[in-house]
Amino acid sequence: MLVKTPVGTEALVAFERVTKSYDGATLVVKALDLTVRRGEFLTLLGPSGSGKTTTLMMLAGFERPTSGHILLDGAPVEKLPPEKRNIGVVFQNYALFPHMSVEENIAFPLRYHGVTGPAAKEKVDKVLGMIHLEGFGGRRPTQLSGGQQQRVALARALVFQPKLVLMDEPLGALDKQLRERMQVEIKHIQRSLGVTIVFVTHDQSEALTMSDRIAVFSDGMVQQLAGPTELYERPANRFVAQFIGENNVLPGDVSTDGRALRLAGGAVVLLPAAIAPGAVEATVRPERLQAADRASDRAIRFPATVREVFFLGDHARLTCEGLGVAELSVKMAAAEFSVLQPAAGSSLTLAFEPEAIHVLAR
Amino acid sequence: MWLPQYATPGERIGRTFVVLFAVLVALFLVAPLLVVVPLSFADQPFFTFPVPSYSVRWYADFFSSERWIVSVFNSLVVAVLTAVIATVLGTLAALGLSRPDFPGRGFVMAVLISPMIVPIVIVAVGAYLFFGNLGLANTRTGLVLSHTALALPFVIVTVTATLSGYDRNLSRAAASLGAPPLDVFRRVTLPLIAPGVASGAVFAFATSFDEVVVALFLTGAEQRTLPVQMFSGIRDQINPTIMAAATMLIALSVALFVTVGWLARRAKG
Amino acid sequence: MSSLAEPAHRSLRAQTFRAALPDRLIALGLVLPALLFLVVTFIAPIGALLMKSVDNAEPAAVLVETLPAIGAWDGVGLPPEPVFAALAADLKAAQKNRTAAGLGKRLNYELPGMRSKILSAARAVSKIETPPAGGWTEAITGIDPVWKDTQTWSVLQRNASPVTAHYLLNSLDLTRGPDGAIAAVPESEAIFLTILGRTLFIAAVVTLGTLVLGYPLAYAAAIAPPAVAATLMLFVLLPLWTSLLVRTTAWVVLLQSNGVINDFMMRLGFTSEPVQLIFTRFGTLAAMIHIQLPFTVLPIYSVMRQIPQTQLRAARSLGAGPLSAFWRIYAPQTIPGVSAGCLITFILSLGYYLTPALVGGATDQMMSNFISDFINRDLNWGLASALGTVLLLTTLALYAVYVRVLGADRIRLG
Repeated sequence: MLVKTPVGTEALVAFERVTKSYDGATLVVKALDLTVRRGEFLTLLGPSGSGKTTTLMMLAGFERPTSGHILLDGAPVEKLPPEKRNIGVVFQNYALFPHMSVEENIAFPLRYHGVTGPAAKEKVDKVLGMIHLEGFGGRRPTQLSGGQQQRVALARALVFQPKLVLMDEPLGALDKQLRERMQVEIKHIQRSLGVTIVFVTHDQSEALTMSDRIAVFSDGMVQQLAGPTELYERPANRFVAQFIGENNVLPGDVSTDGRALRLAGGAVVLLPAAIAPGAVEATVRPERLQAADRASDRAIRFPATVREVFFLGDHARLTCEGLGVAELSVKMAAAEFSVLQPAAGSSLTLAFEPEAIHVLAR
Repeated sequence: MWLPQYATPGERIGRTFVVLFAVLVALFLVAPLLVVVPLSFADQPFFTFPVPSYSVRWYADFFSSERWIVSVFNSLVVAVLTAVIATVLGTLAALGLSRPDFPGRGFVMAVLISPMIVPIVIVAVGAYLFFGNLGLANTRTGLVLSHTALALPFVIVTVTATLSGYDRNLSRAAASLGAPPLDVFRRVTLPLIAPGVASGAVFAFATSFDEVVVALFLTGAEQRTLPVQMFSGIRDQINPTIMAAATMLIALSVALFVTVGWLARRAKG
Repeated sequence: MSSLAEPAHRSLRAQTFRAALPDRLIALGLVLPALLFLVVTFIAPIGALLMKSVDNAEPAAVLVETLPAIGAWDGVGLPPEPVFAALAADLKAAQKNRTAAGLGKRLNYELPGMRSKILSAARAVSKIETPPAGGWTEAITGIDPVWKDTQTWSVLQRNASPVTAHYLLNSLDLTRGPDGAIAAVPESEAIFLTILGRTLFIAAVVTLGTLVLGYPLAYAAAIAPPAVAATLMLFVLLPLWTSLLVRTTAWVVLLQSNGVINDFMMRLGFTSEPVQLIFTRFGTLAAMIHIQLPFTVLPIYSVMRQIPQTQLRAARSLGAGPLSAFWRIYAPQTIPGVSAGCLITFILSLGYYLTPALVGGATDQMMSNFISDFINRDLNWGLASALGTVLLLTTLALYAVYVRVLGADRIRLG
């Protein structure tokens, strides 16, 4: 099994108040502060236009920051051209050189990093083995499948042992099955080599699967930087709550003593720690809502009306009215669904455990 | 595709008519050229069809005339020099223009393309006045300079089109792998756009090799190019030797056309 | 609030500009050699032509003393004696330096007959060694009555400036009257607007001709199976690649009196004697339409190729008949191609020289041919340049429309 290299806390890359504007009027990246730790797998996750790819391109040296500094190993690199940064990049469309063989592609960076002759040949063979493409060295990139091209691009970015490898949606062009296999393979290589990777994607499940930490981008800013579990369980704000996985946002009121949350519709949840009183928003994941008879004694029950039902095989998805929300999403396991057989228009009692409720910061 | 299966009878007639008309227009396009070829092989100096008997005497005429040979030599020298200079300058310009957010791209492009648009007589008279003052009238240098200006847009347009199909990430990838800018160009960009650059060179060569008007104004008897030689021949009395020259020019055009087609297919990979 | 936000906004603009500057300089640096080359070999020569169209060097070069002296003349009666004395000195120098002919030729454009008067005056004045007793006024007016005419002197006065609008006015059939006001030239001398009009007319007919022939061709190629389309386009591209001179030569052979077309028509009995085809408007139009056809067809074809056939199916399923589907759905989408093709053909047709020169009628030539003739035959470079300026401005105006509406990038080859 995988041996996990411990992730250090030492900063390899630091963005300090970095901004980027193309037109001089709007900021694509707004005052970004972000640290990449040595050895970690950091994902920049966000919808298109959120500034994540621009951030990656500035780190690689293809775009110049409009203001602010980027430190690599403690030294500012904004003025350093890409070829002097020693950063490997894997592009969305792989950017393999079509007029060179796989071997020539992989050997390309070696001459610029002082590796020539038999040593270079040895290195190329070694990475070809690592990506399971022994014997493919003489082929042209166009003679390879998408997944194979992807692996060659990865090998090329790793072969010269860069300080850091950047990946810009590298799996976007692959079909679902291959994508999932490559996620595991990349993670495997990253752990065994201990290399630092900054990965850009808009696919939240890919981010959750692969990352040590995830920076959620929206509107040119990092909304939250945290590990996958924390991001899922304790989203910092409404955007993160709804972008990572599916979520229900519920209106509520915190009592004057700050210990109880009263949701619209009357359900009351005791909070683990006191917070400031007043109107708040709380979230509950669809999979944390269940039929009342399956719930524990501590669970909080509430009435709901089924509006729509979608059966998806391993589970069913109900849209209900309840907790003061017109479209409350409920994810119900197939077994439970087949017993209850809820129909549109019927009423039922749902329940959730108190710890399923997360109050969003105001 | 000619006719959809749901075509009405009226539509069938209409489309048939359009296609027949198009075939006639296509014939109109090539027929004049095809007329020249057999006449150049006629035994008699009369322009009648069918050609009574064939011979290569006009070609022999052509190759035994020092005037024709010298004019071919002059044209070749000028066209090769033009192609070399225009290709270098045009390729550099196309590389600059294809970079993102080039300042004032539309206007700069319009200026660079303008030699294709400005009436050739104006170019010729301007060059005649301007180069005359510089002592470049009746020199090959003046003609090469003017022809290069005329050929530049062809190179720029061709290479720009090729570069629009070039993935800039390849250059970025090469840089990230450690290659300095000149190596990126030499090892990655140039090999990939080479067919487009070669096409541009062919266009530039053809532009110069076919050009008459500027050459008429800028050359004396010594620098007289092939088209100028043909032009004065036609003005005096059109003769079958001119047909032979025209036929050879058609053959050259076909060869260049095939070359560019082959290069275009290669560029697509 | 907004007053606070503004400086920040401006500094962002400045920062963005600074951050983008190195890349922009590299891009500019790559384009610069080509631009500079064009400035020297293309733009400067055109500038020389524009300068030549207003150049008035001869009077100032020869009438060194006369022109300053005549400046104060009020235009009433004859100029005072010092002006005549200055003219005498200038003419003597001109006779010695052999520059009188150039001056005479230049003044002849404005006052017909002046060439010989200047030459004879220069000869006569040179023979007078010392200032004549009766003064230069009497001596010079005695040579020819033209020197008694105030119009002669006002023309001289008018030409004191090193630039003249004479050629440009002339190229638009205008002239300055004796009083200096701009007026139309007599109808018998007005030819240049006719030539400009003829040039525009021929270009328009050629454009229309290529469109009528080219649109169905492009359409057939767009709906044809790929192999047939490729063949049709081969027929379009091959002529484009062939030298303009060769194509024009072919038309000479076809059109001339003992040429191919006449030969056929006589054999088939359509006519008993050769029909005049070459050196006619018909010859020019036929050859020009043939030569320009590919330029019109290619943009139309490339636009048509991108219109999905499913659109016509959709139109039909929505109830449109075949003609209505074509006119309401297909044809409007081809307009960008049609305008690009027609505009480029019109622009290029304006500048034709070779074809009218070889197959056109002697009295039916286009602008370019007159420009060439004024340079080579009449040696009137000023007028040639002025006509060139008019043709250039017309062309550039249309080119500006093209660039504005369609963009310079649209200009493609093959």
